[in-house]
Amino acid sequence: MSTTFLPCGDYHQTYAQEHAWWQTKFIKGKMICLFLCLFVFIPLVANDYWISICNMVGYTILGALGVQLLIGYCGQLTLGQGAFIAVGAYVSTLLVLEFPWPQFMLDWGIAYPVSVLVAGIAAGIWSVFFGLPSARVKGFYLILTTMAAQFITVDFLLTQYVSQIGGRGQAFSLPAGTIKLGPWVIDSDLKVYYLMIMLVIVFCVVISNLMRSRVGRAWVAIRDNDISAEVMGINVVKYKLLAFFVAGFIAGITGAFWISNLAAISPEHFPWFLSLSLVGVILIGGVSSIHGTIFGAIFMVVVMELLQLAVMPLADTYPKLLMDFLFIKEAAFGLAICLFLMFEPNGLAYRWWQIKNYFNLWPFSY
Amino acid sequence: MKSRILVFLMSLALIAGIFSIYACGEKPEKKEKAKLAAEEIQIGSLNDMTGATSDVGKDYALGIAEAVHYINESGGINGKLIKLHQFDYGYRIPEALTKYNLFKQLKCVAILGWGTGDTEALAPTVARDKIPYVSASYSGHLCDTAKTPYNLFFATDYSTQARGLITAWFDTKWPKNPDYGKRKPRIAACYMFASAFSSASIKAYKNQAELLGFDIGPDQDVSLFAIDTKSQILALKEFKPDVVLHTNTVMSVAATMRDAYALKLGADHIIKNWGFDENLPKLAAAAAEGAIGCAPWAFFGQDAPLMDKVIEYAEKYNPGIPLEKRTIHTVQGWASVLGLAEALKRADKAGGLSGESILKNGFETMVNYELGLGIAPVTFKEKDHRGQSQAKIYEWKDSKFTLLAEVDLKKRWPDKWENEWLGW
Repeated sequence: MSTTFLPCGDYHQTYAQEHAWWQTKFIKGKMICLFLCLFVFIPLVANDYWISICNMVGYTILGALGVQLLIGYCGQLTLGQGAFIAVGAYVSTLLVLEFPWPQFMLDWGIAYPVSVLVAGIAAGIWSVFFGLPSARVKGFYLILTTMAAQFITVDFLLTQYVSQIGGRGQAFSLPAGTIKLGPWVIDSDLKVYYLMIMLVIVFCVVISNLMRSRVGRAWVAIRDNDISAEVMGINVVKYKLLAFFVAGFIAGITGAFWISNLAAISPEHFPWFLSLSLVGVILIGGVSSIHGTIFGAIFMVVVMELLQLAVMPLADTYPKLLMDFLFIKEAAFGLAICLFLMFEPNGLAYRWWQIKNYFNLWPFSY
Repeated sequence: MKSRILVFLMSLALIAGIFSIYACGEKPEKKEKAKLAAEEIQIGSLNDMTGATSDVGKDYALGIAEAVHYINESGGINGKLIKLHQFDYGYRIPEALTKYNLFKQLKCVAILGWGTGDTEALAPTVARDKIPYVSASYSGHLCDTAKTPYNLFFATDYSTQARGLITAWFDTKWPKNPDYGKRKPRIAACYMFASAFSSASIKAYKNQAELLGFDIGPDQDVSLFAIDTKSQILALKEFKPDVVLHTNTVMSVAATMRDAYALKLGADHIIKNWGFDENLPKLAAAAAEGAIGCAPWAFFGQDAPLMDKVIEYAEKYNPGIPLEKRTIHTVQGWASVLGLAEALKRADKAGGLSGESILKNGFETMVNYELGLGIAPVTFKEKDHRGQSQAKIYEWKDSKFTLLAEVDLKKRWPDKWENEWLGW
């Protein structure tokens, strides 16, 4: 279809048309503008502070995408995503620092990209291990088994053993210039930003495509009713474990990406609160929606930062306001989850969909 | 209707935020304000009021704010006032990273930092941006200027503390042990493995214990949040240590000492500075008797230069907090601010407040600088940011802190101090 706007109503005649990425010229133009904004406008106008905020948003999106896949699309509740991010971060760090790479691979900047890929696969396999109980249990019980991932991985294995590799007993430090993608040394917030944008786009596209495939439909069927899915011939255990693998893979890549923003890595970077906040992100943004993941991450990071900037001018009059802000921020986060669950259970994505529909149907919205 | 209210409230927050970006930005039309702002020196401060180390972080944060008031009210930095931007980051490293960038946006010339994890994570960025970073992390890893040129602190570093504590115990307590001369003394450590702060001096502790001929027992993982440590104490009982080193903060240390007392471990306790304060005897009660700790500063209210000001400003700016509840961490906060202020004054006189000038014309011109507050003289060298080689060791005995020993590592092991021990 090559019209600028879709006519009012649904005129798709084939599934291919309905699932097309670029349905109209308007959508194509809109996406080009978005890409220009992400790759040109933001790096041009944003200072280091806002770029670092964007990086936090990207980190949150990448972290929450796996949670969205598990909870939103496959119906498998998880509170252990932080552990798989940690696995990715540690695997990548250890490979970059400790693996005996041939010199040419270090010179050509191949070590880090290879470590990212291995980190994704390692975290995926580790995630499958903790997804095994999903064959037998679900709901609240599955939450508990995924929580075990945090305690076993971060509090036990990473803390007691991995952190002690090389007799360090402290944070692994990543010297400047260690993180290289080919000739591109990632040593500034802006470079991390570009890497983050590329990863976010790639994973959003991959998950969107997965959801349009046989695998995605199987996941949705399992989410909606696993017994019916099994009756339809879907291998429920296989697809559940596949969901855990993909979510873990994304988490692993997220962790491996995040080390490019850190000069040192320690288990303190991956508290249990991280897993909890990622679930909060999709609750606020909207479950079963990639848009929701993005909106939730923006809400979690940007809105909270704006709130902080809003109270800063008041700090002259109330000096303790800034010191109390983290408390206010966490209270606001908790309150936001409660309010969204009560008044907008479909999250920000639903609001976005309504706004979009309003304009799509304008001026005959009735 | 309700969802509309929600949307309205969110929009309001967004608009307020956007407005504040404008409010925080430059306003060229108001020359008067701009001039005033030019006379202000922006300083950022990261503190932990709600996180894993908040048991000691609250008092430190109060000390920072009160000391800045004192500096401003006694003439500022050569007439310029300090504008303090103080944030609680909840001991979360990602939060610290974004706050650091916010400080950069606010044009802070120096930063007062907190934890070891975030200070070490930020160290290369700080070096790249050339922003002096005076932390409350006294990790030995931050002293080697080849790696962390812009990190400084006004205290005895953790590694020197650990070495000093072991040495003081070895010199004063071990000879009184009935087994002295018959066998090697036994030592073990309790700390949170996952915490970069708690584990920062473990390598130095083991090295020093080997140097003095100790048998080293298995490390025990004790969380900073620990309230029950019986399993760790039972594990230690197998080893029968003569002395246990603690490197956590005070609540965790008190919990461990209580359990050690209840289970009759029978060992002495040596404690790094963050676990050894006025709250330890309150929390550990009888178990605290005989506890030995490192305190590079005077305890709150002790007789020391400038302590009268510390008390005066505590009463003036935080009258709601009784003085008997204040601790040595307030004094630590003061030490960080006074040290930074002195560096700023020197740099300002020498021609500028750029990061490089503050480092070279400020901090690195301090040779045996007497700060007051009971802290040993401070010296920062171009290649060595260990401010002090002395560890002041106190003992809690008969309901008071008594100076037990002053161990000067540089005097005792000059070669190792100069050539081996820097940076870990």
